[in-house]
Amino acid sequence: MKKVYEKPVIVKVETGFMNKFGESPLYQRKVRTDIDGVSIDKLVEKYGSPLFVISEKKLREKYRNIYNAFASRYPNVQFGWSYKTNYLKAVCAVLHQEGAIAEVVSGFEYEKARKLGIEGKDIIFNGPHKRYEDLEIAVKEGAKIHIDHFDEIIDLEKIADKLKKTVKVAIRLNMDTGIRPQWSRFGFNLETGQALDAVKRIAQSGKLILNGLHAHIGTFILDPNAYAKEVEKMVKFAYEIEDNFGFKIEYIDIGGGLPSKNKLKGTYLPPDIAVPPVDEYAEKITDALYTNLRPGDFPKLILETGRAIVDEAEYLITTVFASKRLPDGRKAYICDAGVNLLFTAFWYKFNVEIDRKVYGVNEPSVLYGPLCMNIDIIDDGILLPPLERGTRLIFSPVGAYNNTQWMQFIEYRPNIVMIMEDGSVEVVREKEDLTDIERRERLPEKLKIR
Amino acid sequence: MKLKIGISGINAVDNPGPGVGVAKSIKEDKELSAKIVGLSYDAMEPGNYMKWIIDKSYILPYPSADHNTYLNRLYYIRENYGLDFVMPVLDAELPLYLKYQKELEKNGIKTFLPTLEQFKLREKDKLEEVAKNIGIETPKSEVVNSYDELVKAVEKLGLPVMVKGVFYKAYRAYTVQEAVSFFNKIVAEWGYPVILQQVVSGEEMNVVAAGDGEGNSLGMIAIKKMWITELGKIWTGITIKNDNLLNSAKRFIEVYGWKGAFELECIVDLNNNKIYLIEINPRFPAWSYFSTGVGVNIASNIVRKAFDLPVKEYRDYPAGKLYIRYTDDFVVGIETFQKLITLGEN
Amino acid sequence: MNRLHQLAINDEGFIFDPLTGENFTVNRTGLFIINRLKEGKKEEEILQELIDEFNVSREVAERDLIDFLEKLKSYRII
Repeated sequence: MKKVYEKPVIVKVETGFMNKFGESPLYQRKVRTDIDGVSIDKLVEKYGSPLFVISEKKLREKYRNIYNAFASRYPNVQFGWSYKTNYLKAVCAVLHQEGAIAEVVSGFEYEKARKLGIEGKDIIFNGPHKRYEDLEIAVKEGAKIHIDHFDEIIDLEKIADKLKKTVKVAIRLNMDTGIRPQWSRFGFNLETGQALDAVKRIAQSGKLILNGLHAHIGTFILDPNAYAKEVEKMVKFAYEIEDNFGFKIEYIDIGGGLPSKNKLKGTYLPPDIAVPPVDEYAEKITDALYTNLRPGDFPKLILETGRAIVDEAEYLITTVFASKRLPDGRKAYICDAGVNLLFTAFWYKFNVEIDRKVYGVNEPSVLYGPLCMNIDIIDDGILLPPLERGTRLIFSPVGAYNNTQWMQFIEYRPNIVMIMEDGSVEVVREKEDLTDIERRERLPEKLKIR
Repeated sequence: MKLKIGISGINAVDNPGPGVGVAKSIKEDKELSAKIVGLSYDAMEPGNYMKWIIDKSYILPYPSADHNTYLNRLYYIRENYGLDFVMPVLDAELPLYLKYQKELEKNGIKTFLPTLEQFKLREKDKLEEVAKNIGIETPKSEVVNSYDELVKAVEKLGLPVMVKGVFYKAYRAYTVQEAVSFFNKIVAEWGYPVILQQVVSGEEMNVVAAGDGEGNSLGMIAIKKMWITELGKIWTGITIKNDNLLNSAKRFIEVYGWKGAFELECIVDLNNNKIYLIEINPRFPAWSYFSTGVGVNIASNIVRKAFDLPVKEYRDYPAGKLYIRYTDDFVVGIETFQKLITLGEN
Repeated sequence: MNRLHQLAINDEGFIFDPLTGENFTVNRTGLFIINRLKEGKKEEEILQELIDEFNVSREVAERDLIDFLEKLKSYRII
């Protein structure tokens, strides 16, 4: 009877790195053989590798969990699904079913929401670049338009004249909530009085009706108090507007920025400790509302949380294509997915799980993507046991910003499947082939190769 | 009662962790007759080899790993050697212990730590509020996340200025260039944000104490550092009795119902009769044995309180006692090292 | 530079080099290979012994052996 094989490993004991758990086979090794009960093997066998896998169950759970944290504390809550975070139809549809309206930031995203069957009145139109023709459609269809700058006020007034109607609008604010860096490029600044000027301008012409305020203080905000400050400033400003201009502020949109349980590079603590629970955010935000709102006044609270809802509901399965030894002694693995698919690899350190039990000690390793590009690195310092060619690694959370910011660069983009609540698997975006990429190309006749 | 008490921070090096001092204090309470379990993060931590203080040591996964790995390691120790109580003393591990203190207790491992809300009081942006509530002042500070903000903050606060990390490290910068280089150093090791703090004049005085969670003190002393190392660590100190200072520590315990050990770092401006709160450390300082040495055994009192044993009441301590840190050395075989490397325990 | 012969190796896979003071840890398979290198065996012989001793294919064992030897070279052990 032959002995069980384990890949040979030797590790130098180095000062400052004499922590056994870097090496122990028992620790820091996470195995995942399935997603929602569907085996990784079967998924890859049928849909190929790399493969994005979305869990419908988890997506709905996350939505309900976050929504309920707010709805159980405040009577008038509406979520807007931030399309740019993940605008796959299947993802948007699930969240619309759950009750979210759409939050879009371009004509393209607006079109996408409409095509999916969302009515104009259920679309929040944000962003600094709303073309005149897009705005006109949005006005006609009664979308919630959040004005970003003075030029947009002028455009909207022209559209109001043209369509001979008064248009309900909201303005976007930016402010100091203690969060650094402070986001100041979107909307009108509160502290400098720019926001008040915008309100005056809107009131003067009489063509627009201001009925909402919007702000978005940043991204991956780890301090719930920042939202409390945001809410306080917004509510105070809302009353200043109501008392001086006669507008009724019907809703306060506090934007998004809630973190997911992803590990940001440059942070020390793991996300389950560093990221406060959603209830803590809900508590601070609703507390700030109750403290600052006048008795009996419950304007609609809109949240545009994207990352916190979708990030943890999606995984990327990738396959170890080859391995090599780097000159500095580290082990390098070449995976079939890289920064072309995982845009967020630039700022996250993903949770990496292996599809099988692997024996042998961990050694410092690097995970490269498939691109012939030096920057294609998914993880440049991870402890992994020696991995066989063909081993599958599962990266998570990858639901936010990857399916919208990925690139068709060097490689085709792979299948995306959704594991439905009943355990069935549906392809929600087919993998690409040459026709997708060349469909829009035109080769001048005289350049054709014969 | 033979308690097995886990203590971290047994890295008694030039920038020492507080663990060995805490371990000595607990050992000195003969009634407890406790066994000390050293919880270390590296085989080279000297405490692993100091068998006259630390009875048994284990290497732990870093708190930056996921919490299950970490907790499972503690459970492993509890099952194989015994672990009734853990006294975490390092800033980087406190958030994990705070979050999972109930789970640990359920699994037979007690701790005696502040609540998450109390823990947040140490955040630099809370200092002003805390200082006000306990009747003292605080120097101005700014949180910075970028080079631009750093430069603006220096303009606002003036030079010299203290550049501090969220968890560790504090440097005094005399020029903007120096501030930038400290900023980069801190960011590289500990990430964002970085805190810039106004330098105030006066004598640095510190209090080590513990609260019982019900508004009462489990013992406290105040000291002044007489000599510090290049890293700013105390090498010689002296006990002092500044009533204002001690009273603010008492108020801190009363007002916030603080539970567990803490250190208040203050600058006392005797000329203007002002006390500035510089930092609240939600754990023992590295020199905590000083209090035990003058008869106030705070560490053992914490353990007593945690296990409902009679708590000692410390009303007074002598001023003018000196604290002398010194270096010593000893020689051991390679076996302990080998075991720590291959098995993770000695 | 061949340091193999001076290494002090214990059964738990702890290796101490008295000349340089360096320490290494090695797993069972790694130890198996190092012991055979010490005996002066050639790569091909060691590969055959690996296949005979462990439940492993020639292809995998060969790939791993090359990789392990590269690692030893990077540590300047061989």
